[in-house]
Amino acid sequence: MELIEELKLKMIEALNLEDLKPEDIDNDAPLFGDEGIGLDSIDVLELIVLMERNYGIKISDSKTGKHIFSSVRTMADFVAENRTK
Amino acid sequence: MKERNFLIKHSVKIEPNKVSLDGIDVLLSERYNTFLSDIYHEKRLAYPKFFKMDILCKVGFLATEILLEAENIERFVPRRDRSIIFCNKSSSVSTDLKFTHDILDLDNFYPKPSLFVYTLPNIVTGEIAIRNKYFGETNLFVMNDRDDNVISELVEHALMDEEINSVVGGWIDAESENDYEADLCIFEIKQ
Repeated sequence: MELIEELKLKMIEALNLEDLKPEDIDNDAPLFGDEGIGLDSIDVLELIVLMERNYGIKISDSKTGKHIFSSVRTMADFVAENRTK
Repeated sequence: MKERNFLIKHSVKIEPNKVSLDGIDVLLSERYNTFLSDIYHEKRLAYPKFFKMDILCKVGFLATEILLEAENIERFVPRRDRSIIFCNKSSSVSTDLKFTHDILDLDNFYPKPSLFVYTLPNIVTGEIAIRNKYFGETNLFVMNDRDDNVISELVEHALMDEEINSVVGGWIDAESENDYEADLCIFEIKQ
């Protein structure tokens, strides 16, 4: 499975986005705010846990985090380059 | 502060197989495991955050949606004259137990923030206040057992505040995923 699709499935499960299917999430759409899929601050924390648990990536710098979680594509790019598992 | 008389405008009750509004059954089901999601879909609600909520918040959210729909006045406009006063006995125990279980495995220690946030019972009042833009007092009182006299006194006290004209209040409890109850009313000052 392509990493970007895998990430979408893991996000749907971790964030309980029950009404969404992977194809509903645009690869480049912002994840937060009114234009995106409406994630909130608790969801950010959940995504940080997801990255560490599944890919061994620790994100502690908020500036970096803001860039990584811009879209599913930016997340996938970062995982591909930095994963340890 | 002075005592003000109030009336019950509408009431709703949610149990694991039944919803009643103003004393009349409006939804019955044998699908215990999916009953709350079934209500959500039946009411055609569009609030994805529902699926992230814990059991207590889901019950409170659905009960107030049904209650406020029955009120049939414009919703989601900011109001400072409405308060939320809930009572229960199980606090947030269902989520507390889940979270405790979640952090037991020290070799796989990834506490879920989305679970942790619901380890406070009064989150349910905040969810409802945010959804409906209510800026009055919000409270959840934990008591040993349901006592309608105490609940009534708490509602009366909230209504002594002259800025408050109505209270969404009553009993809401969730001991586990399949053992919950909401018995809520809109209490309003008699004109």
